Amino acid sequence: MGSNGGGTLKFLNRFDENELLNAYRVAVYSRTLDNRIINAQRQGIIGFHTPSAGHEIPQVAMGMLLEKDDIVINYYRDLTLLLFRGVPVENLLDHFLANSEDFSHGRNMPDHYNFREYGFYSVQSPVAMHLPFAVGAAYAKVMKKENGIVLSNTGDGGTSTGDFHAALNFASVWKMPIMFVIENNGYAISLPTSEQTKAPIEKKGEAYGIPGISFDGNDIFSALEGFIKAFEYVRTQRSPILVEARIYRMGPHSTSDDPKKYRKDEIVPGSSDDPLVKFKEKLKSLGILNEEFDNEIKKWATEDIERKLEERMKIPPPSKETIIYDVYENPTWIQEEERREWL
Amino acid sequence: MRQLNMVQALNEALDIILNTDPYSLLLGEDIGRDGGVFRVTDGLLQKYGKERVIDTPLNELGIVGTAIGMAAYGLRPIAEIQFQDFIFPAFDQIVNQAAKIRYRSGGKFNAPVIIRAPYGGGIKGGLYHSQSGESYFVHTPGLYVLTPSNPYDAKGLLLAAHKLNDPVIFLEPKRLYRSIKSDVPEGEYTIPVGKAKKLREGDKITIITYGSMVPTVLNVVDKNNLDADVMDLITLLPMDLDSIISSVKKTGRVVIVHEAPRTLGLGAEISALISERAIEYLYAPIFRVTGFDTPFPYANEEHYLPDEERILKYVRKSLEY
Repeated sequence: MGSNGGGTLKFLNRFDENELLNAYRVAVYSRTLDNRIINAQRQGIIGFHTPSAGHEIPQVAMGMLLEKDDIVINYYRDLTLLLFRGVPVENLLDHFLANSEDFSHGRNMPDHYNFREYGFYSVQSPVAMHLPFAVGAAYAKVMKKENGIVLSNTGDGGTSTGDFHAALNFASVWKMPIMFVIENNGYAISLPTSEQTKAPIEKKGEAYGIPGISFDGNDIFSALEGFIKAFEYVRTQRSPILVEARIYRMGPHSTSDDPKKYRKDEIVPGSSDDPLVKFKEKLKSLGILNEEFDNEIKKWATEDIERKLEERMKIPPPSKETIIYDVYENPTWIQEEERREWL
Repeated sequence: MRQLNMVQALNEALDIILNTDPYSLLLGEDIGRDGGVFRVTDGLLQKYGKERVIDTPLNELGIVGTAIGMAAYGLRPIAEIQFQDFIFPAFDQIVNQAAKIRYRSGGKFNAPVIIRAPYGGGIKGGLYHSQSGESYFVHTPGLYVLTPSNPYDAKGLLLAAHKLNDPVIFLEPKRLYRSIKSDVPEGEYTIPVGKAKKLREGDKITIITYGSMVPTVLNVVDKNNLDADVMDLITLLPMDLDSIISSVKKTGRVVIVHEAPRTLGLGAEISALISERAIEYLYAPIFRVTGFDTPFPYANEEHYLPDEERILKYVRKSLEY
């Protein structure tokens, strides 16, 4: 096993080859699942999806550096990170299918995950409104003297919201152990980042007294190098940092979106620029992976997902009574009356 | 018994909460050093320290957004919005985050946050220090909306709100902060959430009101010897339907009084509920006496606010119908 330039040995000193291979396996699994969900949407099996293709690399890098006590206040393009932190694909499929085994009784659109047991929050649609929430979660951690930090991620569009600025300011004033990760995939639906903002995203923390870091999130080693610095800063300084991972959204914003209307694809899935292909080539050059093993991983992922999807599709939808529960700790007379009359 | 005004009663409730619940904390603009612009949090920073009485930056969405995160991860935050008029930057956080966390997470998360906000007119506050925005919140399932009308209820209601495991919009009628005093017991007691109070008992008409209009309505009833049931709702969501309906079935006449504008104000919902359940008991149309459907004016606020004359006019109209 040799150096691949750019100081790869350093990473192998920190992460052994099994950890790298595991990260690759999760990334492949995530891409396979992503593609299957898109197809399932076209088949009418699943209602909607916000694909994660292109986000795999920074997400496995985060996964490799997160610790058990860390909380992730996540958004809706986090499929890879969910898989990395151990969310079973069965639970993900139940969520996508909105069936009766889904933790939230099928109440949410796909990609609005609820996996508290795996260290995640619950995902809402309005962009970036979870960032101030994440600062509050960090405050609770500090006040309760719990271990760990908070990581909260969103896309490049999120940096234009008032929520983003409020969160950065409060995090800085309160000196919270929190990492804001901007997964800058180049587009917020149709708007290119160049029209979203004229300032470099990594600089946006400076006005609030928060340092920033930016790196090529398409390359596993540059992503790991960037995140190692960022995690170390937050863990040792117990202060916020702003991270920009520069990536490319290889699919549409969602299954309801047609990117042909507003852009030409710059990175085509499966091409030599696809970050997953680049990851594979890197592992091959390090002698960790070969084509045969890669094909085995992909075959296993495809078959595993197919089998589980078929199995989860047999689960019935949630009962209609579940509509009225969990509005309050106990339903008020209003929900009770509606249940009696209609459900 | 000693008498307190509403500011003192609320301060005492907050003191009890901070003293008995180590996970409770207060946050808002100018609530620490300054004790709040209405002094509701006076002295609490000195007693409980900066970690639990937080002077925040000037950003309502930040105050409420962070408070929800604190609540979801085990704390019991009480946020102050300096004037309810300024709550709207936090509206998204209240409606789309706090009110929906429990539902969308299937009960894995909840947000026991109290958002206190002085509301209503009568202090020469013009357009932006006078609004009564309760309907915005009453329209949102997942929230409790509470408003006391006297010092005794204010203390007990805030202590009751602290025991709820869901988000609470706690609206404080600022006109009554110092204008009335009442007996307030020391120590802890609670006012039941979801229950209206009958402040006068009568047979001829039901007057339904809440918050800052309560003393005005009582003046009308007392000065004119009206044979009226006066209901103080206290909880605006979920309303005490049973008490309303049983009073209406007894009197057959209803006047609803609130400061907020008429269109889709609480009066509209109360009228609909009565129509659905007790229309055959009514001798007269249901009348609403409300603030006008205009922004809140600075110079003419005494004409904007429903006064004794306007209330009496509609009570008579109902009685003579």
